[in-house]
Amino acid sequence: MAVIIVSSDSLSTAAHIAEQTARGLNYRCVGREILGGLGKRYGASEEKLHKTLDELPSFFGVRARAHAQCMAYIEEAVLARLSEDGAVCHGLAAHLYVRGVSHALKARVLADPSEIIRETMKQKGVSPEKAAKIAKHEEALRSRWSIEIYRSDETASSLYDLVINLSRVAPEEAVRMIVESSSHPRFRPTTYSVKCINDMALASRVRVVLLALFPDVVVEADGVAVVIETAAVPREKEKRIEAIEKLARSVPGVGHVEVRVANDMVRQAAESFR
Amino acid sequence: MAQRLDVLLLDDEPIVGKRLKPALSKLDCEVEVFDNPRLALQRLAEKDFDIVVTDIRMDEIDGIQVLEETLKKSPRTKVIMITGYAMMSVAREAMGKGAFDFISKPFSPDDLRKVIVKAAESLGHPKDSEAAGVSGSQ
Repeated sequence: MAVIIVSSDSLSTAAHIAEQTARGLNYRCVGREILGGLGKRYGASEEKLHKTLDELPSFFGVRARAHAQCMAYIEEAVLARLSEDGAVCHGLAAHLYVRGVSHALKARVLADPSEIIRETMKQKGVSPEKAAKIAKHEEALRSRWSIEIYRSDETASSLYDLVINLSRVAPEEAVRMIVESSSHPRFRPTTYSVKCINDMALASRVRVVLLALFPDVVVEADGVAVVIETAAVPREKEKRIEAIEKLARSVPGVGHVEVRVANDMVRQAAESFR
Repeated sequence: MAQRLDVLLLDDEPIVGKRLKPALSKLDCEVEVFDNPRLALQRLAEKDFDIVVTDIRMDEIDGIQVLEETLKKSPRTKVIMITGYAMMSVAREAMGKGAFDFISKPFSPDDLRKVIVKAAESLGHPKDSEAAGVSGSQ
């Protein structure tokens, strides 16, 4: 069964389309309701997880390190759910980090602008002109968020398999289009695509375990083998490799660990000036 | 006893066929190995195979052409694509053109056997995977 990821310029639109699609296909719907359980599991507040998805890291908001950690928690939870059969995902930025998986159909649903303005007016109690300004600002913020966090502009149509404009297509028609597209053979899971998502899920599990101590790690998985890249000053290299290997091996599913340590030039330079 | 399956295995690296043939024979498959796509296509024109396993990137004729030729002549044949240059776009192209599955190299003989077992099932010839030494599916 395919995995379907619904993205939209309106969270409520994405949720509505995803829920209807999941119902039509008898798939599980995975949305922001998972953040509650995730917060409890990792000791992060649900509010912080929501903010991480909606805002860029900032001094007064979620700081950069916490932001990266929260995103890692979210990715881990989402990838675990998507590596199981038949799921429709929305509101969790999965369209940005589920990459190269041939059975993952990514749909972008553009809400009717007048609907977005109406919703904003209702939510914030503002005039239509002010609501239009807010909507425009939020769209620009989403674009910036996706570029800064994932180096990919979520408003670019090239990111998606399907782009549907609700100004021209009724929501129920959009759902039908997504359901029909997902049944195309090109979105059937293959041994390769299942491995891709399983590898991503394993890498995300390892990353979550390592991030608290080693925020700079880059993790990739291939089957049961995991490659971890980090940086350290030469005198800390061996210690760091040992610590990372030990933590990574504690993650279920990890069979082999390779740690690649680059020279931490910045720290090395800073230390040489002391 | 389960019915014997006719399998054509095509990879321009002879070592691949040499290594995989014994693995598939364990599944009671009659395996013909080719490292030349032209000769493989000739054989496919003569005989309908149950399963075709083909590399994608080969000189002269690529695996997608083999897939198309195979299904044109024998739509019931399950075609399994293998490649060392796996990419989402290629996987989608192959699946869209009717491939049964798509596997990236390197893979173990056990990985291929799992797919062959699935293909046999979909052909209505279930294989005893345990007897063939295939560990649990993913």
